[in-house]
Amino acid sequence: MASGLGETCAIFFLTLIFAIPLGMVVALMRRSRFKVLSLISGFFISVLRGTPLMLQLLAVTYGPYYIFGVSVSRNKLIPVVIAFSINYAAYFAEIYRSGIESIPIGQYEASQVLGYTKLQTFMKIILPQVIRRILPSMTNEIVTLVKDTSMAFTVSYVEIFTLAKQIANSQTSFMPFIVAGVFYYVFNFIVSFVMRRVEKAMNYYTL
Amino acid sequence: MSVLSMTGIRKAFGDHTVLKDISLHVDKREVVSIIGPSGSGKSTLLRCAAFLETIDSGEIAYMDRPAVRTVNGKAVYEKDLKPFRRDFGLVFQNFNLFPHYSVMKNVTDAPLRVQKRDKQEVRAEAEKLLEKMGLSDKADAYPCELSGGQQQRVSIVRALMMNPEILFFDEPTSALDPELTGEVLKVIKQLADEKMTMVIVTHEMAFAHSISDRVIFMDCGVIVEQGTPRELFEGTRKERTRQFLQNYNQAMGVREQDSAPEA
Amino acid sequence: MKKTVSILLAVLLLIGAVAALAACGSKTDDVTTTAAEAESKDASPASAGVVFTMGIDPEYPPFSYLGDDGEYTGFDVEVCQAVCQKLGWEFKVFAVNWDEKLIQLDSNECDCVWSGMTILDSMKEAGYVISEPYFDNEQVLLVKDDSEINTSADLAGKTVAVQLGTSGEALLGDDLADLAATFGDLVTCDSFVKCFTELAGNAVEAVFVDKPVAESYVEENEGFRIIDEDLGAEQYGIAFRAGDAELCAQVEAAVKELCEDGTYAAIAEKYPTITANLIYLH
Repeated sequence: MASGLGETCAIFFLTLIFAIPLGMVVALMRRSRFKVLSLISGFFISVLRGTPLMLQLLAVTYGPYYIFGVSVSRNKLIPVVIAFSINYAAYFAEIYRSGIESIPIGQYEASQVLGYTKLQTFMKIILPQVIRRILPSMTNEIVTLVKDTSMAFTVSYVEIFTLAKQIANSQTSFMPFIVAGVFYYVFNFIVSFVMRRVEKAMNYYTL
Repeated sequence: MSVLSMTGIRKAFGDHTVLKDISLHVDKREVVSIIGPSGSGKSTLLRCAAFLETIDSGEIAYMDRPAVRTVNGKAVYEKDLKPFRRDFGLVFQNFNLFPHYSVMKNVTDAPLRVQKRDKQEVRAEAEKLLEKMGLSDKADAYPCELSGGQQQRVSIVRALMMNPEILFFDEPTSALDPELTGEVLKVIKQLADEKMTMVIVTHEMAFAHSISDRVIFMDCGVIVEQGTPRELFEGTRKERTRQFLQNYNQAMGVREQDSAPEA
Repeated sequence: MKKTVSILLAVLLLIGAVAALAACGSKTDDVTTTAAEAESKDASPASAGVVFTMGIDPEYPPFSYLGDDGEYTGFDVEVCQAVCQKLGWEFKVFAVNWDEKLIQLDSNECDCVWSGMTILDSMKEAGYVISEPYFDNEQVLLVKDDSEINTSADLAGKTVAVQLGTSGEALLGDDLADLAATFGDLVTCDSFVKCFTELAGNAVEAVFVDKPVAESYVEENEGFRIIDEDLGAEQYGIAFRAGDAELCAQVEAAVKELCEDGTYAAIAEKYPTITANLIYLH
């Protein structure tokens, strides 16, 4: 089952790498003055949050074949990471949005009066405070992501849960599921621990 | 030369007109206080001057350079307002310090990042100003560790660090506990004594009386009356001004009576 | 103060209600298990009120699948229905998760697994009661019409799909492990539809699958062909829990009766792709 462990980690880290910035793009689009951008982003978020992740995995993996007739990807890591990234980007976007909206308007006004550009204001003044505020909700989502990686089995991507299923099946034993369960728990224990350390490190000020 | 000149300013929020044809000219080294009941438009006037609100029509100029003109009855802003922002500083009612920056970083970040000044020089200046405001031991503290009065003094230092021609105060003591207003007023008084050009929107009548060269009384979006503190507070001939001051004194009287037994 | 008291009361009531419900739940559970035990020990299950739940793979045409009318149907389902009618049992269907079918059988979610199930030695070793085989099956390869693959030897270096939990998967891990070792990659899908989509979408070159499933797929979809090479003969049977030998005997006897009165053949006629391999018809 050790090889499945690597695959699960690959889904987890690649999804975070893509979804964290993508979510910010979606969140900023959502807040855009341009109605079209904000509507597109709103629609994107509502569809991805309103349909099961399993369905999105199937859609991303097999959808292009059924719609455009293009080949199904042989390397399942690609559709799996795409599906997870856009799904999690939608959830992250909502977290970012609530975080950005919770920053008092006075922070923007003070920055403007001091002559900061819009970009400087966002990167140096707003974003650090947003990160601080959203960390607990992000921890929640990231813990969920660890568990959600098991859904990759629906498109035959061999991560730890798929392997557990296969081994359980050939040995007619429940043991592999228990091993998988312990793995997810330990993984999440580490994630929570790291996130708590990060939160603590940012706790040098109160908002 | 007038540092700030606002002419024929009109501003409405939807159907509600807040500023009705207001003009305000501030000369170098002049200290102007604006008083008036809440909702009179005095804070809005200041926020318009600081470009935090856009005016509907009128003209705004800093150091005789026009920033806003009116063309066909509509206000037209200069494309680049950056050079004008350099001319003023604003101290907010709620301080609006950056909570994730230390005091030192709060007051030095904009001079370094925006004005791109020399690091050593900026730091030295910040240390000097903090010391002047009695905050030299707080340079490494975060805003959340400071009292309201200390935070407001830091925000004054932050505004001063940009070396503005004119400093705006938007009700600088309204968010403070009564026992903390004194330390902030003292600092502003000190700036007035150094002949800093300032416009102060305030509810502190005695303070306005003592530091201002000129006091403006606003009500319902118009300037009702303006003059020296003596003219306005002691010799007003306008009924509305008299009434406002009377109400204010009564309220203060009640407050003083209330607290008298404790004192 | 009053408010606090009423909130406390409400909370207590809620806890009480939940506890009561839980207690009731476990009680009814007990009743059903004892009933089931009694039933399997009692040799006269023809008594009224017996519920017989068949466990099926809902995606395994033509043996068991979801019909156009939204009800489960298929050859196995229809036979089981007829058996229940004969014995006066109430007929129920439970869709199992195929790769966990035996665990679900053990946990009483169904009374048998009857769904084109390949009889494996490992099942017998684990103590399950298995009926007489009723169907001869072969594993075949499904490929695209224009494929260059003609025998299993051509699979060297190719990607092959197989369904998780099927006999095909078991074979490739056991008797056919040497063949599997020549594959470029083996993709395990959790349903046949996905295996076939992988093939249609060029993600795999062949699907290793039960013959009747491949035949009904080829009949309905253009552009595929079957490579009929004796890759592994196997037989289908019905699985019961250990200790349910009596139940198994009853079902088998009823099936025999159905064969004699012609019902069995009548059902088989509806599924032409499998009739040739039905043991009871020959």
